[in-house]
Amino acid sequence: MSGGAPVVEIALFGLSSGAVFGLLALGLVLIYRTTGIMNFAHWAIGLLSVVAYIGLTAAGIPGWGAVIISLPLAVAAGVGSYRLVFRKVSRANQIIVILIAIAVAQLFSSLAAFALGFDAFTRLAPWLPVTQVTIAGAVLSANELITAAAAVAIAFGFLVWFRLSTTGRALRAVAQNPEAAMLAGIDEAKYSQIAWGIGSALAGLSLLLVLPHVAGEQGGVLTAFEVSPLGTLLIPAFGAALVGGLVNMPMALVGGFVFGLARELLILAPAPWNGLRSSIAAILIVVLLLLRTERFFTVRQEREALEA
Amino acid sequence: MTAILRTRDVTLRFGGVTALEEVDVRVGPGEIVGVLGPNGAGKSTLFNVISGFLRPEHGRVLFLEREIGHLLPYERVAAGIGRTFQHVRLFRSLTVYENLLAAQHRHLSSGSFAAMLRLPSARRDEREAARRADAALELIDLGPWRDARPDELSYGTLRFLELACVLSLEPTVLLLDEPSSGIAQKEAEALGPMLERIRDERDCALLLIEHDMNVLLGVSERVYAMDLGRIIAEGTPDEVVSDDRVLESYLGRTTGRARAPA
Amino acid sequence: MSADVAVRRPAAEPLPARPRALRRLTPGHVVALLGLLALAALPAAFGDFGFFVGQYVMVYAMVGLSVVVVTGYAGLISLMPYSFAGVGAMVTGAAMASWGWPFWLAAPLAAVATVPVSVIVGAASVRLRGLYLAIATLTAADFLGETFFRWDAATGGETGWTVTRPALGPIDLSGDPAFYLLTLVAAGLLVWMVEGLRTSRLGRAMYAVRDNEIEAQALGINVFKTKLVALVIGGMLAGLGGAFLAALLVTSAPSPFWSPVVQATSILFVTLVAIGGIDRALGAFFGALVVVVQQQIFGGAEFFFAFVGIYAALLLIVLLRFRPGGLVQIGRMQWQLIQRRPAVGTAVAVGVIAVNVGLAWLFVGLS
Repeated sequence: MSGGAPVVEIALFGLSSGAVFGLLALGLVLIYRTTGIMNFAHWAIGLLSVVAYIGLTAAGIPGWGAVIISLPLAVAAGVGSYRLVFRKVSRANQIIVILIAIAVAQLFSSLAAFALGFDAFTRLAPWLPVTQVTIAGAVLSANELITAAAAVAIAFGFLVWFRLSTTGRALRAVAQNPEAAMLAGIDEAKYSQIAWGIGSALAGLSLLLVLPHVAGEQGGVLTAFEVSPLGTLLIPAFGAALVGGLVNMPMALVGGFVFGLARELLILAPAPWNGLRSSIAAILIVVLLLLRTERFFTVRQEREALEA
Repeated sequence: MTAILRTRDVTLRFGGVTALEEVDVRVGPGEIVGVLGPNGAGKSTLFNVISGFLRPEHGRVLFLEREIGHLLPYERVAAGIGRTFQHVRLFRSLTVYENLLAAQHRHLSSGSFAAMLRLPSARRDEREAARRADAALELIDLGPWRDARPDELSYGTLRFLELACVLSLEPTVLLLDEPSSGIAQKEAEALGPMLERIRDERDCALLLIEHDMNVLLGVSERVYAMDLGRIIAEGTPDEVVSDDRVLESYLGRTTGRARAPA
Repeated sequence: MSADVAVRRPAAEPLPARPRALRRLTPGHVVALLGLLALAALPAAFGDFGFFVGQYVMVYAMVGLSVVVVTGYAGLISLMPYSFAGVGAMVTGAAMASWGWPFWLAAPLAAVATVPVSVIVGAASVRLRGLYLAIATLTAADFLGETFFRWDAATGGETGWTVTRPALGPIDLSGDPAFYLLTLVAAGLLVWMVEGLRTSRLGRAMYAVRDNEIEAQALGINVFKTKLVALVIGGMLAGLGGAFLAALLVTSAPSPFWSPVVQATSILFVTLVAIGGIDRALGAFFGALVVVVQQQIFGGAEFFFAFVGIYAALLLIVLLRFRPGGLVQIGRMQWQLIQRRPAVGTAVAVGVIAVNVGLAWLFVGLS
């Protein structure tokens, strides 16, 4: 997008990438608050769905069908890594948990690279319409509109479900107090797996919303950047999750839009400031970390831990 | 009598709960002072304020006539305040002996590069640390368990290890938070005389939280009774245990009140 | 104040005097010496390729040592060791190419140049708990990649600086065998130094902070300063490793230090050190040996993240589940076996080494 592009187009691009950040962050927060594990493998798990999508579309299956078929792979990877690895280590040792999350990220991104056959570039066919639509004089990409709308719809649907359904309530109970939930007859192991499953599906979906469409009508391209353990969008997704103190889901979604819009709207900034675009995510994250946002969402836990 | 340690009007609230309210305590040189009170009375919170782990909302902490409210926990250790915790905290991945070595930190001074290059100053430090740790090991008679990890030892033994670590700091005032909890009855009986020996031989005043009344009343020269974050009585052990308010706080309302963090 | 006995419990038996093996030759020293000699000679069995791989192992071990100090000793999860190596490589390149400094001055400068980065990152983030620090360092790596590593004055542009391998007086060290020996000596020296740190006042303070921050404070340890020192030392080690990396590659292109590739490589470093044994200096060496040899034997650059990634990740997951001390822990168990049953233990050790070396030799011969 060039410097002369109208504000609406840039804002829409910010909204659609923000929606994807928010969706990624939603999965991160769901897994973190339910099982206490920050999933550094989030991107890599989603990548497995992308690999399946590439294979399926190459085999002639229509894009939307490939999306539906490929999402369970991410779910299986997420649930599998929780059951086989994360569940077996004590949550108390944060260092080991983070090391394992890193190893899992490395494992899945390497598997993805392996499956893609080490090509420098892999083409992705788009599955959303990539035509240009003109609304009120602004030329907009249909896939960006759909991505923004779909991500918001999915996120809101998920949040409502999380708040109202029996499963959602059980998930929240496990998140707030695993022992109490267990005493109340809630199967903590089962709901932890559900959290990993849903979170991983969100990861796969987020990647599939964005990666096949990054190059507009040409579809998408995967390079070594995308096929790496953290990918290209996980850091802003961490930032979005931090807006909600890593535990609050609606705020994580808001955070996604903050990061998406901040990055894109900086294009419009005057000369020296638009250079901040590439590092704005890092700057925002440092500010959020210094604010210690978890304070606003977790009540006096630290003090009590000290008292114990 | 001059106090080496005193708090003035120390007040601290957690949310809406008052953990400490206008608490004044003082400890004289070589004195053994007891603190009693039900769970949630604010005893451990008081210790956390004195040792710098919590900041009071207002009030002052004075040590050797000097305001220390702004000092961080490790700086208060350097000033001469040592403490133990209600639940033993040790370094779980280190051996008994390495725990004792780690406790010698403040008596040593060599830097990282001296250590990496094995310069004479670092080697001197290591000899000094080993000498002190050997003495501490002998003190608690744990020689045979020198290379054991804390998890292999009984809780009572860990209490002694923790005490040896904190004594290695050579404190002027030692805050002991329930030293008898979790240790065997026989060891608890030996605790009182041991605390007096620490006071006499280490020239160290003691502030003691203790639920075992035999120990607390037997060894303390003065006692503070706390409830709901306040000092409700002060005096000799006999005076305090016959105080109406103290009896009430122990025997009366045991339910139906908001509990401040202990 | 007397440090004499005060709370002696009954019936103390006198402690045996502590044997100080500082200046005495123990079996451990003999093994270490033999191992070092074997390492010096081993690559020769594989020809030029052996020395080529050997250099990588040693340079990776140097950068890995920073993970040992920061994460293994002090318990701080830093996911930016390779960014520090990058700073070292750029500074080395700039000092040698544009100011004409010799390597022997540029390398220490590379180490020192990381200090401000460590201090800024550390001052802003070491008060954070483990998870937040991990995110902070990922972010810092991102930030450095978008700023410092895109600044032509520092990086010499996209192609980077041209770096020449050093000479030691009249002795030219630019050939692979000679440079291998140089990296071996440097890595060995750094392992020795990091091991010395472990059993010192500050090393114990780092372990203490890692195990229990509150108890560490109660014993008079300045937690903030201890963490900062760990980060600074780690940064310097990685910076020095970066200097040797630039000399090894004879160039210093900035692109490997751009996000997200730099984080991927940093993650590989954390992984390989955790495989070797994250809280021992030798762990960095073992990890580098295992991962780099695999990487070089089984493929070139395009295999880098794929094959080695799968292999290293699976190895790490299994080790963390069953032997969290990594290969160093397995090595120590082997050493105990040798002491208990010398014949069996030695046979097993020789067998394992022979099989591994033999397999490597076969693969090199085939490829």
